[in-house]
Amino acid sequence: MLNRFHVSWQPAFFAVALCALAGCGKSPPPVFRLDMTNVVDKQIAPGQRQTVADVLEAMFGTPDEPISPQGSEIDVRKLRMAAGPVWSDEEGGKHGLYRRHCAHCHGISGDGHGPTALILNPYPRDYRPGIFKFKSTERAARPTDEDLTRIVKQGIPGTAMPSFALLPPTEVEALVEYVKYLSIRGQMELALEEFAFNEELPDPAENAEVRTAISEMLTTVVDGWKEANEKVMRPEDAVIPPAQRSPEEILASVDKGRALFYGTKANCFTCHGPTGLGDGQQTDFDDWTKIQRGFIDDLRALPDSIQASRKNLENQQGDERKNAETRLEEQGLELTERQLVAEHFLPHRNAIPRNLREGVYRGGRRPIDIFWRISAGIPGTPMPAAPATLTQEEIWQIVDYVHSLPFEPASRPLARPVNIGAVNP
Amino acid sequence: MEIVRSKYTIALITALALSAGAGCGSPDLPGPVANAKSAKAIREVLKTGGDEGATAATAATGTGWATLKGRFTFVGAPPQRPPYKVDKDHNICTEGGRAPLEEKLIVQDGSNGIMNVAVYLRRASRVHESFQQTAAPVVLDQKVCVFLPHIVAPLAGKPMLIKNSDPTGHNAKFGSFNETVASGGTREYLAQKESALPLGVSCSIHPWMTAYILPRENPYVAITKEDGSFELANLPAGEELEFQVWHESSAGASQALVPNTPETKELNWSSRGRFKIKLQPDEVKEIQISVPATAFTGV
Repeated sequence: MLNRFHVSWQPAFFAVALCALAGCGKSPPPVFRLDMTNVVDKQIAPGQRQTVADVLEAMFGTPDEPISPQGSEIDVRKLRMAAGPVWSDEEGGKHGLYRRHCAHCHGISGDGHGPTALILNPYPRDYRPGIFKFKSTERAARPTDEDLTRIVKQGIPGTAMPSFALLPPTEVEALVEYVKYLSIRGQMELALEEFAFNEELPDPAENAEVRTAISEMLTTVVDGWKEANEKVMRPEDAVIPPAQRSPEEILASVDKGRALFYGTKANCFTCHGPTGLGDGQQTDFDDWTKIQRGFIDDLRALPDSIQASRKNLENQQGDERKNAETRLEEQGLELTERQLVAEHFLPHRNAIPRNLREGVYRGGRRPIDIFWRISAGIPGTPMPAAPATLTQEEIWQIVDYVHSLPFEPASRPLARPVNIGAVNP
Repeated sequence: MEIVRSKYTIALITALALSAGAGCGSPDLPGPVANAKSAKAIREVLKTGGDEGATAATAATGTGWATLKGRFTFVGAPPQRPPYKVDKDHNICTEGGRAPLEEKLIVQDGSNGIMNVAVYLRRASRVHESFQQTAAPVVLDQKVCVFLPHIVAPLAGKPMLIKNSDPTGHNAKFGSFNETVASGGTREYLAQKESALPLGVSCSIHPWMTAYILPRENPYVAITKEDGSFELANLPAGEELEFQVWHESSAGASQALVPNTPETKELNWSSRGRFKIKLQPDEVKEIQISVPATAFTGV
């Protein structure tokens, strides 16, 4: 994506030959690959990378034979239903559910980089950092099982994520368990790579200290998932708007919500725009994309840096020169690696604030869904949590205003229902 | 940008792309694949638990206290600092019609001192009593759409304040935190655990705003001043100390500062931007580090 391929015929020929050699009849079982963006960005040495891969397989097994790491409370029976190749048994039992329904978008390792990812907008979620956008819990918390189940069953309106409501409940449960498994595995991978960067990651088979460190990492990751149910944001009963309200009551609440939406206390308009069209701030990116952009910035700076080092070489002698030559070599390797990784990136897209006049709510359209979105913001995106100074009552007023926006005359200039007068006098 | 790539790399990538298109092979990026044998061996030892070798937390081996101080200077002409690209709230985010200057790399005219280099102790075996006194909480303010200061280092477990002194709304986004701070508002924030390296802070409303936060479990953190100087007083003496040096525009992995000069070679400065040192009680050790432009990106 950095520059177009310059294809000369010789390598192209070689490529076709390679592909033919590999043959398409029998593909080897899929494997989990490391997050190369993180590994290369942190300049983790090849031996350390291998250890990370080995530890992950020791703890989590392979895509065909997953293991539930000790203490993770991941249900192995559910994992086995979801994992492995797609097939049906004689009784019609479905196997390989993740690869049947999910992997083509979300990828084997849950990196959101399946074969169809490129043609989807938004891109499929990368589960590996453990960050999920649409959930009921506090911003930094993991989602609950119920949150993940809701997304699988309802899908995500306005995106390619379909509803799986027709699957039997046991299959949905198995998929939710598998998503958690991939997420915990991904978080463990990041933790191990962080450890390899900060310290060193010796072979755990020979080092007791690192075994302790690994078990502590797993506890931290798993505790985050176990605590999710305690981190659900439950609105105070006293301020929840009653189901039955008079048009006047709703109107009064909408008015207050409107004032908050365009005020400097809640600040919604700064991104969602002066008319709620989502055109206030369109140049930002989500966290997944920002990591890749940072990676590309470093890649772009490298050739200059290499040139400077090369120029500097002339002034150096003896040990100093040797040192500088090694450094130059390392930089050259880093450049090649960064190019390989960056070419794999999907084109970057801005994180566009929701156009609130369309009435399409990705995380669900119930008042409580919008309440959660405003209270915690949307993790991994520029959408921040509500300021601590905003009361729950005020959040509900903004919920009312957001719900009223698609029904304003400006949102539906052609088809204007006669009864809209009550909301928009 | 000049791209160096061998024909065979192209061939390999094309082969991968072709085979992916043909529905065979894996479109995944190559990377190490686990070795089944090693994985099995590790699985066996992990099962038995790792606790027998309980972590040896850094043990205090020395006595007394010492000081490390020094200065970071830039070799060559100080780089230009362009103004931030202010594209909204001009009346609030500029002063006299001028946007504030970028803070990516601040080199003082004359002294060539490099500001905002973070120098901090990786692990402390003990902490001097002078740090026990309750200090005023660390504050990260937002003023004229600039975070002040540019790097904050709160203690993990001690609350800090995130403020907004502007007449417009801001938010502060770092790690898993992202919260609106209303105009004139203050928000208390508590870092639960330390971070090995500073985390970027941004404001989603004003995308040019950047800062860094470095929560640490020990108080031995110094951020260089305008003249590039820093001082870490009351460090544990008589034992090995390991320092991390970081600057946001460093070319090193994860912005570790690696000057690669005779001075840093003498300190055995690693490619991770770290060096180890042992100080005698009451010693005041001074280090002078001149940093060539090659240690930074975008210079």
